[in-house]
Amino acid sequence: MKRIEIFNFKSPNRAPLKVEGFLFGEESKGPSVAIVGAMSGDHINQLYVASRLVEYLRQKEEEGKISGKILVIPAINSYALNMGETFWPLDKTDINMMFPGYAQGETTQRIAAKLFEALQGFNYGIILEGRRDQGMCLPYVKLIQSDYEDIDSARDLGMRFIHFRPYSPIETVMLQYNWQLWGTKALSVVFGKNGSIDPVSSEEVHGALVRFMVKRQILDTAVFEGFVSNIIEPESIMLLKASRAGIFDSLVSCGTTVSKGDTLGRITDALSGEKLEKIIAPIDGVLTCQYAHPLIFQNSIAFRIASVEPKKSITKSK
Amino acid sequence: MGVIEEVFSIDLPVGEQFRIQRCRYTPTGGETSKRISIVSGIHGDELEGQYVCFLLGEWLRAHADKIKATIDIYPAINSLGLDSITRSVPFYNVDLNRIFPGSKNDFLPAQIADGVVSAMRGSEIAIDIHSSNVFLREIPQVRIAKSQAKMLVPLANKLNIDFVWVHDAVTVLESTFAHAMNTLGTKTLVVEMGVGMRLGKAYGHQLLEGILNLMACEGFLDIEPLDVRMPIQSHVGEVAYLNASCPGLFVPAIEHCQMIEKGSIVGAIVDPLSGQTLDEVIAPIGGILFTLRAYPIVYEGSLVGRIFGEKV
Repeated sequence: MKRIEIFNFKSPNRAPLKVEGFLFGEESKGPSVAIVGAMSGDHINQLYVASRLVEYLRQKEEEGKISGKILVIPAINSYALNMGETFWPLDKTDINMMFPGYAQGETTQRIAAKLFEALQGFNYGIILEGRRDQGMCLPYVKLIQSDYEDIDSARDLGMRFIHFRPYSPIETVMLQYNWQLWGTKALSVVFGKNGSIDPVSSEEVHGALVRFMVKRQILDTAVFEGFVSNIIEPESIMLLKASRAGIFDSLVSCGTTVSKGDTLGRITDALSGEKLEKIIAPIDGVLTCQYAHPLIFQNSIAFRIASVEPKKSITKSK
Repeated sequence: MGVIEEVFSIDLPVGEQFRIQRCRYTPTGGETSKRISIVSGIHGDELEGQYVCFLLGEWLRAHADKIKATIDIYPAINSLGLDSITRSVPFYNVDLNRIFPGSKNDFLPAQIADGVVSAMRGSEIAIDIHSSNVFLREIPQVRIAKSQAKMLVPLANKLNIDFVWVHDAVTVLESTFAHAMNTLGTKTLVVEMGVGMRLGKAYGHQLLEGILNLMACEGFLDIEPLDVRMPIQSHVGEVAYLNASCPGLFVPAIEHCQMIEKGSIVGAIVDPLSGQTLDEVIAPIGGILFTLRAYPIVYEGSLVGRIFGEKV
C-alpha cells in the first residue's frame, strides 16, 4: 500500500487541507478502479466504508491478492468533516457540483480539478454518495444515462437495485457524469443516512465493493454471490407523501418487503399529540427509502416503494 | 392598495406554515391577464431585492391610478432563509435556485420551486432581483444566457442598470428560476446588484426607476417612460476574472466600480500571522472594476474582482 498525497490546499488560517489516497497493486497487472469517499462533511458513512476498505485491501495486498490497481480516497472535504459542515466551509459550495473542475477558477472548482486529474485513466470509478435529502435508503447503485454508462459493470456489485435514469441538469457538473464522459466506467453507490454510520448498510456496501473488484479481476479472493440486480427506472418507484406535518414515526426499515395495506408510519401533531395520519402502503413492493428525521414537513416524501409493476400515478398517503 | 395573497403554503412540523406571499396591484377595473412579477429572496442572504419591492410597493400605493395591468410583488421566496441569514433552504441545505422548475413530488425545496413557478406562470415578464452573495459586491447588472439574448437584451436595456452581461449557456443554469420561467414563455430578467446581507439604498432607487420605466414601456403603467441610463453591453468588450493566487486576507487598494488601468494594483493579499504581503492583485486589462470582493478572507482561487474592458 502506498499512502499518497492527492493534493494539498492551503488555508488562510487553518492547517492545509491534505487529501490523501491509498494505492494498492499495479496497473500493469490488471484493470484499475478508483473509489471516492466523502465529498461532503456529512458523508460519515461513506468515510467509514472507504477507510474500512483501505484496511481490508492492505491485508489483501499482504496476502498477494491484488491483481490490478486500486485507489481509495476516503475523504475529500475533510475541512467540512472536521467542523460539522456539509459543504466547503467558507462559501458553502458543494465540491460535487464543480466537475470537471477548473484550475483557474474558484476554490472548489480548483479542488475539483485537482481531484479529477488524479482520477483520470482508471477503468472503473465508484463514488460513495450520501443522499441529497433528509432520507435514508437501502444501498443502491445510481447510474445516470450519459450515453457512456456501463450497466454490466454496475451489475457486478450484486446490489439489489440499480437506479437507472436520465441525468438532470445539475448532474452535468457532478463527478459521475463527467467521469463517464472522460472515459471511466463510473457509477455511484448511494447509502446510509447523512451524518451517521449504519453498520448494516456499511457491511452491504463493503461486500459489494469487494465483489465488484473480484468480478472485474482486480482482486483475487473468494466472495459470495450478490443479488441479480433489479434495474429500477423512475416509473417503478412509488412515492408516499405525508399529507400532514408533525412528528414522524416510521414502523418499518429500508429493505422491508411490504404488502398493500401495511401501515408504514404515523404522524402525530407535534404540540397536541393528536394522531394525524397513518401512512399505508398502497401497493406491494420493497421499501427502498424513507424520511429519516423525526420532524416531517407537510407533503414530504415519507417512503419510496419499488414495485415490479410500473406505477400508474403518484399516490398520496391515506 | 395592493392585495396580499398567499400563493403557496405548507405545514412545518411544529405549529407554523412556510408560506409564499405576494402583493397584487391591479387597475381600478380589476385583474388583467397581462401580468408582471417582481421577485426577490430566492437566496435568503440577498436583501437588495426586498428594498426594491418596498420602494415599488410604496410607489404603486401612491400612484394607484397609473396601474394599467396586474403587478405582483413577491419579496420573500425563501422566507426561512431570509429570517435566519441562510442562503439556501434551511434544514435541507439546498440552493433553491438550482432545483427549478421543481416538483410536487419531491422534497420541500422542490415543492417550493414548483409553487413559485405555478404562482408566476402566465406572467408576461418576471424580474428576479438578486444581490451578490456575501463575498462580492456588484454593480447593478442583468445576466442573460446567449440563447435568450435577442429576446431579453432589449428589455434589460430599459432597467436603468449599468451592465448587461450575455454569457454562454451553461447546462447547470437550466435549474434556475429564470431558465424555468423563460422556458414557459415568461420573459425573465435576472438582476444582480450590491452585496449579500446588506442594503444599498442608491442601487435600490436606481433599479426602482428602471422597473418603472420598463413597466411604462411595456404597458403596465400609464406614465411617460423615464430617462434611464443605457447599460454597457458585454459583447463590446471582455470580462477579466481576478482570482486569488494564495490564501490570506484580501485588502482592496481601490473602491468598487472604478475605472482601472491595465497593470495597476487592485489589492493585496496579506498574511496577518507573519506580517508579509503575499501577493498583489494586478489588473490584467484596463476597464471598469464591476465586481470587487467584500469578504476579505480568501483561499487560492477565491474571486476578488472582475474587470470589464475592451477586447485585446
